[in-house]
Amino acid sequence: MGHSIARRCFRTLVPLAVAALSECGPKPPPQVAPQAAADSVAAAARRDSLAASARRDSLAAVARRDSVAAAGRRDSLATVARAAARADTVRAQVRENVVEEPAPAASGLDSAAAADLATMVQFEFDRSDVGAASAAILDRKLRILQQYPRLALQVSGHCDERGSDEYNLALGERRAAAVKRYLVEHGVAEGRLTIVSYGEERPLDPGHTEEAWARNRRAEFAVTAGARP
Amino acid sequence: MSAARGRAAALAGLLFVAGLAAAARAQDTIPPGGVRVGITYTPGTRPALAVARSGGAPFDSVRAILERDLDFSDQFEILAPPSPPARSGEAPDYRVFRAIGADLLVVLAPAESERAAVEVQLHDVRRGALVRRISVAGGEGPERRWAVHRAADEVVRWVTGRAGIAATRLLFVRNGQIWRVDADGSGLTQVPAAGRPALSPAWAPDGRRIAYTAFVRSGQPIVLQDLASGEREIVPTTEYGLNITPEFSRDGAHLAFAHGTEAGTDVYVYDVARQCCVTRLTVGRFSDNLSPTWSSDGSRLAFISTRAGTPQLYGMDADGGGADVMARFDFGTTGQTNGPSWSPDGQAVAFHREVNGSPQLFVLDVGMRTVRQLTGTGRNEDPTWAPDGRHVCFVSSRSGAQQLWVLDVETGRVRQLTTSGGARLPAWSPRLATP
Repeated sequence: MGHSIARRCFRTLVPLAVAALSECGPKPPPQVAPQAAADSVAAAARRDSLAASARRDSLAAVARRDSVAAAGRRDSLATVARAAARADTVRAQVRENVVEEPAPAASGLDSAAAADLATMVQFEFDRSDVGAASAAILDRKLRILQQYPRLALQVSGHCDERGSDEYNLALGERRAAAVKRYLVEHGVAEGRLTIVSYGEERPLDPGHTEEAWARNRRAEFAVTAGARP
Repeated sequence: MSAARGRAAALAGLLFVAGLAAAARAQDTIPPGGVRVGITYTPGTRPALAVARSGGAPFDSVRAILERDLDFSDQFEILAPPSPPARSGEAPDYRVFRAIGADLLVVLAPAESERAAVEVQLHDVRRGALVRRISVAGGEGPERRWAVHRAADEVVRWVTGRAGIAATRLLFVRNGQIWRVDADGSGLTQVPAAGRPALSPAWAPDGRRIAYTAFVRSGQPIVLQDLASGEREIVPTTEYGLNITPEFSRDGAHLAFAHGTEAGTDVYVYDVARQCCVTRLTVGRFSDNLSPTWSSDGSRLAFISTRAGTPQLYGMDADGGGADVMARFDFGTTGQTNGPSWSPDGQAVAFHREVNGSPQLFVLDVGMRTVRQLTGTGRNEDPTWAPDGRHVCFVSSRSGAQQLWVLDVETGRVRQLTTSGGARLPAWSPRLATP
């Protein structure tokens, strides 16, 4: 994929450069020696071609900027619309007491990639920082997320039973947010990741041992939009 | 008659100082009319009270409820009354009750009015006088029961200047659902609420509405729910993110709660009265600020913050300014502090703090800034104050599973409120006029 883009760009740029040379080159001044004149013609041509390409670049940049801004406007309108729709959804769910989880979206990935995506991240007691072991787990997800740009995830933060019930909801939120931040800092678009905290409400291991607590201090990952449209 | 009056005036004078202190603590400590005749007793001991035996229905059931309510008020030494039962319609033989050491006597008599079932008569045994009559409404079931609770609370008010807490209830969470139970442990009922789990229930001061966090499929909003109709609405802005630990101000005009996003959890206030305007009070980037609880006059909030690392107890003005540490802590050694509840009289904040790996109850004297540990056995957490500012309900594992217990902070007496299933996150109601 990367190769084909480079080839396409090269094919486009070479004829442009040739055209710039033939159209924009000034007449050689008669006073100077032929070799020097030839050099200066080449230099001027290079200069002009650079200037022309700079102009083109800047126009492209403006066009890009405009299109980004337009897309941004579209996005922000879409975001507002999505947010309003979501608020309506939540209100309806409170009215009708809709609590069951939606079925996770089919990831469309092979089983190895799906397993990498689902691997949980663990935390130390009362901590939300992403350690080296967690970073290695997240890096494997990064590769998959980069490979499949339509893939979207929900990160859920969980705690062990030891802290206060209510404080653990905030701590779980902080854990999910830390994981999201790591992925976003490494290039994943923010809109592809949502977070939720379940505090200590959904223990993976019902035990009351150090091992059970360690397993329960985690972030889980659920696919909310698959690899293919 | 005039001698009795003079004595009453003297007693009232004696009680004046105590009355002043009580008045500073809560609005409802001055009885209607402003003058009160009470019982004097040696500081540190409680007046001894007997509820006279009375034969037959409906007296027996009323007597059982009333005696237990008065016992649970922790204001009296409850004495076993001598049998046989006092004959209704006749003045009690005060000598018999003086002999067992009673200061106060409660007698149940047939009501004179047709609409009332029973009349509760309070006698001052030492003076040998009937001092208060309270009629208990007729009817059956919950209404009768509630009327008896109200009568018990009135007896407590007459004696101490502060009404009792028998006519109150608690909300709590069991199996991710909201339940309620009367303060005497009866009337256990599920409240049909949205969400699974539904967490952190809180009472509106009118006792008619509650607020809680509902985990529905697409969010964790704060829900306001009418108890009678079941009608629900959502606090604006809580359709998004994490929304937890709601608490109404004591005038019911505002609701404080914590709203969590990727940038941290902060305390917000919703103007319930105007149904608008959610204001952010804390700005703790990547720190957690939660569990707001109002001072009695609504001018301050206590809350939990991780701004210095572990969760600890802070205070701030109701507009978010003037933040300070409320319960002093030593960095790195003082355990996690959570679950604060500001007492109705404004003088104390109860909370739990980790001690040797288990949460224990503490109470902060707001004026003195001193902290006192209240429990030491098992895990004890999430205290909530009764409207008398003297009892706290909390979650304890002392009997095995997590259950609700009630502690009298003044005497240290503890009783178990719930006995089956798990129970957590209790919230004590205001005094309720009707069941």
